[in-house]
Amino acid sequence: MTETTHTRRPEPLEFDKPRVSIAKPEYRFDMQGEMPEAERVERAMKSFVKDFGRTAAIYMESCIHCGMCAEACHFYEVTKDPKYTPIWKLEPFKQAYKREYGPFAVIYRALNLKRRVTVEELQEWQQLIYDSCTVCGRCSLMCPMGIDIATLVSQARHGMFNAGLIPHELWAVTERARLEGSPLGATPKVFKDRLEWLADDHEVEIPVDKADADVLCTMSSIEIMKYPDSVVATARIMNHLGVNWTFRLDGYEATNFGLLAGNAAAQKQLTMKLIDAAVACGAKTLILPECGHAYTALRWMGANMYGEPLPFRVLHIAEFLAEQVHEGKLRLKKVPKSVTFHDPCQVVRRGGAIEAPRDVLKALGVELREMHPTKGTNWCCGGGGGVVANHRADDLRYKVFRIKMEQIEKTQAELPVTTCANCRQTFDDGQAHFKWDVKMHSLLELVADNLIEDER
Amino acid sequence: MSSPTLGQFLRARGVTRREFLRFCTATASAMGLSASLAPRIAAALEQARRPSVIWLPFQECTGCTESITRAHGATIESLIFEAISLDYQHTLQAAAGDAAESARARAMQENFGEYLLIVDGSIPTGNPGYSTIAGHDNLSMLEEAAKGAAAIVALGTCAAFGGIPHANPNPTGAVAVSDVVRNKPIINISGCPPIPVVITGVLAQYLTFGKVPELDALGRPIAYYGQTIHDRCYRRPFYERGQFAESFDDEGARRGWCLYKLGCKGPVTYNACATVKWNNGTSFPIEAGHGCIGCSEPDFWDKGGFYQPLSTGNWGTAKTVGTAIGVGAALGIASAALARRRQKAAEGS
Amino acid sequence: MTLLDFARGPALQWSVTIFIVGVLWRLLGVFLLRTRKDLSEPRKPAAWKGLKLIALRSWPRREFLEGTAFGEVMGYAFHVGFLMALFFFAPHVLFFADISRGLLGTDLRGLVGFGWPTLPNGIITLVSAVSVAALVAVLIHRFVNPVKRLISNFDDYFSWFVTIAPLVTGMVAFSHLAGWPYERLLAVHLLSVELLLVWFPFGKLMHAFTIFAARGATGMIFERRGASL
Repeated sequence: MTETTHTRRPEPLEFDKPRVSIAKPEYRFDMQGEMPEAERVERAMKSFVKDFGRTAAIYMESCIHCGMCAEACHFYEVTKDPKYTPIWKLEPFKQAYKREYGPFAVIYRALNLKRRVTVEELQEWQQLIYDSCTVCGRCSLMCPMGIDIATLVSQARHGMFNAGLIPHELWAVTERARLEGSPLGATPKVFKDRLEWLADDHEVEIPVDKADADVLCTMSSIEIMKYPDSVVATARIMNHLGVNWTFRLDGYEATNFGLLAGNAAAQKQLTMKLIDAAVACGAKTLILPECGHAYTALRWMGANMYGEPLPFRVLHIAEFLAEQVHEGKLRLKKVPKSVTFHDPCQVVRRGGAIEAPRDVLKALGVELREMHPTKGTNWCCGGGGGVVANHRADDLRYKVFRIKMEQIEKTQAELPVTTCANCRQTFDDGQAHFKWDVKMHSLLELVADNLIEDER
Repeated sequence: MSSPTLGQFLRARGVTRREFLRFCTATASAMGLSASLAPRIAAALEQARRPSVIWLPFQECTGCTESITRAHGATIESLIFEAISLDYQHTLQAAAGDAAESARARAMQENFGEYLLIVDGSIPTGNPGYSTIAGHDNLSMLEEAAKGAAAIVALGTCAAFGGIPHANPNPTGAVAVSDVVRNKPIINISGCPPIPVVITGVLAQYLTFGKVPELDALGRPIAYYGQTIHDRCYRRPFYERGQFAESFDDEGARRGWCLYKLGCKGPVTYNACATVKWNNGTSFPIEAGHGCIGCSEPDFWDKGGFYQPLSTGNWGTAKTVGTAIGVGAALGIASAALARRRQKAAEGS
Repeated sequence: MTLLDFARGPALQWSVTIFIVGVLWRLLGVFLLRTRKDLSEPRKPAAWKGLKLIALRSWPRREFLEGTAFGEVMGYAFHVGFLMALFFFAPHVLFFADISRGLLGTDLRGLVGFGWPTLPNGIITLVSAVSVAALVAVLIHRFVNPVKRLISNFDDYFSWFVTIAPLVTGMVAFSHLAGWPYERLLAVHLLSVELLLVWFPFGKLMHAFTIFAARGATGMIFERRGASL
């Protein structure tokens, strides 16, 4: 692993802006570690070779350059700049695949038909892969050849990380997460303190570090630091349901900047913390918070990191709530408001929990006005995949945000609701930037606010 | 002894002026010339001395001779043929042995530089013993005879292109006349055999104009070999409409539909069969219900089979396909193994 | 050996051989790569149902149609026309029947009692013309559309060429274009097909095979997760 050469201590965070991130750096260091250019390229190549399996190879062989993926991508939609074509993000990696790993690799190398990827190319591609991709998966849904471009971008990020070519902010927060247990300063100590004063302030019982529990709840740093009401909401609902649940200080951070940055080792480390904590307390269910990529990281990638099927169920909080609704255990007041639901990409389109949030909204008795397009084809908020943490990408992200504003305005719904804290902070940041009078709400908090509590 | 002119000869045989002119007109049109040239043809032929013609038969089946001499009754063609001083022709001559050979030698000497040499059959270049005449091998006989020839007619596909003996594997090393003789004008009258009237028409043109007619890239007179059978085939509309005989004597065949599916090589065969036809205009193979076999083209024996449609080809055999599958699979397995090994190496480091 | 003899002879045999070798090499070279079992608990265990994505992706979702309709329609116009001309033109059917007889010992008539149907020449000409027009249209689009212009490379243009050449040369040969010797037109057409066969395994034309693999893989992965197909 490369050591940082530009900072000796973690980058300062800022919490008073609409979205939490590191403070906008005066100097960006978008290249990490000291190594010769050839070595950077070599490390990137080695990483590709390690990552590419049969499925990725099939995808790399299948692109017919139809360019239709661009039509699905919000970054292309708002700029009409062809460089944002999703499959173009993979161009150096496609070359590398064909040259290093494909069936004709020997021929390509012998006749030098595909040039070696250069450091300059990788640097140019950093912005395409990190600033203008939220791994939202709309392109994967469009591709006539069925190529899962989004997953390939995630895999490509491994190469970029190994080459020491990830954006400044992602490097900084991933280092924090690796060293402190949280990317955004919500260290175990900070978390513990917060839980104490939240329990006090809101008069809610919050169990911590139980030795035996049926349900392990987890939170995202975004909620811990910026939307603490979500922590309270979680506790309220669990208690309302009479669940034997706990938070654990040895495994509570559901976000995974290792996944976002492309740092496979860090991704595994962060995932294992959650798994070990669940195993330690014998939990049968692990609930992920309102977060998008957390779902992808644990629900779909966790077992593979662990090396065997997980010994517990993994549910997004929205899925959990929907289950409780179906089992009649969640008693909710009716909310006589019109609601439109923003689908977090990793939960709905990529994750498959398409109806769960809607089932919960139905139980709340709201008037659901679907925006257009919706569900699997809904537009991304523009902040996922680490983009909202990246200051360099702000202008682009604000352009993309216009799409969401237009979608929501068209529904004229009173209450936009989502179930991902990263989407939520992206909306908050966009709202501030455009001075928009619409605020995004949390499904979790909406439920917690409308529980029918027994009078005890 | 001065030999009579052709005109005198014909009159002596009782050919009327009218019949003679009709022949010249027909010849003119067969050569693609204007009918107004008929008098000129008549005048030339009238005054033509019966030129000396030496006919050398090499590796041949005598089919070309049969074709030409096929009795069409006492037609003008055969008379014209007799009007040439055919000083040497194995099948037709009366003499044999030394008498025949010395007649040939004398004719070649007396008419040196002026005689017309007709060759049928291919020339073996392998063992000279494959084909000899009076103990002389074909190759040296041709070389010697060519020296004094004004022009050479390579009669039939064997002489023009090598024909049957040249077919794979060509055990005798058979070659065409044009492979042996390089410095004399050669007219290739190909066909297996050629149409009789094509031969006489070419000869008539040669006698009339004293020079070799316009030839195509393969040395064949364009007058008769300038178009394909397909271009003039009376069954062409059925080809266009896609109505084909599927097998011999099926309904399509009986209705006279196109024979493409039965292997007809008409589209790529240049000859006059579809216009001039055979047996004095009676019919030609397609009209008789059999596809053209392309007999006036070089190597027609080796084009993949007379009943193989033109759109098929030598894609291989079950064995070559099987081998290709094996090789492809092996390469695929090898490249995957190589990639996996690189992966393992990358993971280890 | 004439050009036609060459085209019907060694050129055909070699190109068919290279085609078979290349296709298997490329397909096996990819399919035999490492794959890892997915240990996550599936939302929908019958992942094979995701193979329906192979059919689903044949037309874009309504939401994506606006920017992609042109490409989709032109793509189908080309493919349908091309495949109709290839498989239902009488001389081509004879070509395939000959191969079938050589490999299986019988053609379709021998197997099922009726022969492979052929379409009238007029229809073949029409669909070939439509196919050529569609190809020209997509080439223009590839030049003019900024996305396609950026991402296109030699493979795209050369594959286009080896695809349109058989169509155009076929139509020219079939029309017995005046003034040209037919045997040469036919030879050029056959050679253009042989060029297509030789190039096929090495360029994007392989999507004819990989489309099933890629769509199938994604279909199964996504179906397992209950993700949007």
